[in-house]
Amino acid sequence: MIKTHTARLIAVLALLGVAAFPLYWMFVTSLTPSEQLFSPSPRMLPTLSQIATYADAFTETSLRLWLVNSLIVAVGTTALSIGLAVLPAYALSRLDFRGKLLLGFALFMTQMLPEAMLVVPLYDIFTQLSLLNTLLGLILANTAFTVPVVTWILKGAIDGVPSEIEEAARIDGCSRLGIVLAVVLPLIAPTLAAAAVIAFFHGWNEYVFAQTFISDDTLRTASVGLASFVGELSTPVHTVMAVGIVYTLPAVVFYLFVQRYVVAGMTSGGVKG
Amino acid sequence: MAIKLENVTKSFGALTVIDNVSLEVGDDEFLVLLGPSGCGKSTILRMIAGLETVSSGQIHLGGKRVDQLPPSGRDMAFVFQSYALYPHMTVRRNIAFPLIMRQFRWWFHIPVIGDLFKRRIENSPEVRGLVERTADMLALTKVLDRHPRTLSGGQRQRVALGRAMVRQPSAFLMDEPLSNLDAKLRTAMRAEITQLHQRVGGNFVYVTHDQIEAMTMGTRIALMRDGSLQQFGTPREIYEKPANTYVARFIGTPPMNLIEAEVEGMTVRVGTSVLPLPDGAERPVSGAASGTGRSRVWLGLRPGAFGIVPPGQGKSLAGTVTLVEHVGAESLISVKLSGIRTAHDDDGAPTDEVMVSVPGYSELRVGEAVGLDCHLKDFSLFDQDSGLRVGGRAAEDFTTNGRVGAIRTAS
Repeated sequence: MIKTHTARLIAVLALLGVAAFPLYWMFVTSLTPSEQLFSPSPRMLPTLSQIATYADAFTETSLRLWLVNSLIVAVGTTALSIGLAVLPAYALSRLDFRGKLLLGFALFMTQMLPEAMLVVPLYDIFTQLSLLNTLLGLILANTAFTVPVVTWILKGAIDGVPSEIEEAARIDGCSRLGIVLAVVLPLIAPTLAAAAVIAFFHGWNEYVFAQTFISDDTLRTASVGLASFVGELSTPVHTVMAVGIVYTLPAVVFYLFVQRYVVAGMTSGGVKG
Repeated sequence: MAIKLENVTKSFGALTVIDNVSLEVGDDEFLVLLGPSGCGKSTILRMIAGLETVSSGQIHLGGKRVDQLPPSGRDMAFVFQSYALYPHMTVRRNIAFPLIMRQFRWWFHIPVIGDLFKRRIENSPEVRGLVERTADMLALTKVLDRHPRTLSGGQRQRVALGRAMVRQPSAFLMDEPLSNLDAKLRTAMRAEITQLHQRVGGNFVYVTHDQIEAMTMGTRIALMRDGSLQQFGTPREIYEKPANTYVARFIGTPPMNLIEAEVEGMTVRVGTSVLPLPDGAERPVSGAASGTGRSRVWLGLRPGAFGIVPPGQGKSLAGTVTLVEHVGAESLISVKLSGIRTAHDDDGAPTDEVMVSVPGYSELRVGEAVGLDCHLKDFSLFDQDSGLRVGGRAAEDFTTNGRVGAIRTAS
């Protein structure tokens, strides 16, 4: 018993090390004086006197603006994806209609197209709709990619809601929309949270569209901003690492905020068994 | 309010699951839809509720046709087998939910604002009063602010009943509401539902496969099989005058024995014994089928209608004991008859055993030879070919024998 416990602990720590070490290394590098960056014997501990690098990252770059832009894009993508996916997910799960299977499959198909392939046609469409150089355009492009995934995730969760609960609501006088909003959504809250995490991360991390559709410096997102440090002649490695750390933090905070809703057993107690 | 089903049929493609069912119950009746799994009883209930559409035929409630209305427009409450409570709402909100929905406006969909309005309705004096009175009636007052997952099975069942009662509907529909409870709780809840019916009135339509529930709770039973109605009557009528061998074998534990016999004039011949039929007994039209003056029938006798006597005594049937089961107040004895066919299934698959119940602890041993006296007081005669009832105990009016005092019979 204790043996398996210890073995599990070691396995978890090893995995944690693999996942966390790159972040730690980013942190250490960001706090390493530039002259030691390429030293043959790298330091494993951060040089705390270099902490000003972080303040510099905010004052000397447009990091704050980039983060705000990224946040707008990520939150917008999340809200729009969930808003657009709930009803199709319900329909795919509960209603019978012609072409249902095909529609579900078609949603999956969209996931197989790489972003890069869609850049040119989307650029053309966005030009006509005056969506180039707007955060709204970016949100729409990202949402197009997240909606199918979110729809399928939510459909899976709605499948798990006992149909009797919905029938009870119908008898109690709920409309279809009422059932979705007042009964189904609260019951699939954990999955909604998980779907929100996926959509948020997609919006937060997205690079290709942000790089292509945004040329105005004030509308840059953090992913593009971060990449902009990589210069032809020099790259301020410790600044890149500091910005990278700062860029990662909001996503982690968002995940920590949402993950407490990702708990199992929300539907327990409603129906027997 | 009277409930009336008129030639109701339900088909899924080529498959007909409910075949031309017509029945009618008057005000304040407790109708039980009884039958084995898959006989269509739940489908009928769901059609009455509006959860399933009707393929053809009509459903009327209180004289008004309702089969085209949505479930919410029928003024009926439904209690599900699985309770179907809203897990994310407290017991109070669960019970108040139908009342909140009555005052629902579209802006209640808006997350925070909607919640405020719903809470306002829930806390309004009339809704609060009604919910608390209902909870009080069902002994749920203490758990009103808890969530369903923290309740026991019996409490959840009562919340489901409360949610149905609070609307004061014209009909309560219940789909095997007790089948998830343990035996003891089931007996208690059975009595509670019966009392609820007496207290709040209204029509109850109750689906069950449990004949004890049907017999004890119903004022009227509709026995179903394979989507068609086998018999519709009071519990007593169904027990004492089963319409066919299926009903005869379905109701009663152990079921009615069906013994091969021949009716000739005022006598019935079983094996070599010729027994006189009591005065006033209904008989088949003599020899209509065979033209010989004799009718081949299944003689239906309940296990209690036998007396065990020494072998060879009087007109008793000779047999051998094959099984003795002691169940406390009585003993159940299987007797293999010599030279006489019996039927265990309504399709008449022949065996030669009957089940006899005798009061008290029987000292009989397996293999012992016995004689069986048949008491032809409560008996039924069924045609051997069609299985339909062709005669039996003297005619009597059972139609007003319901559980609840004065029941108005459907006209």
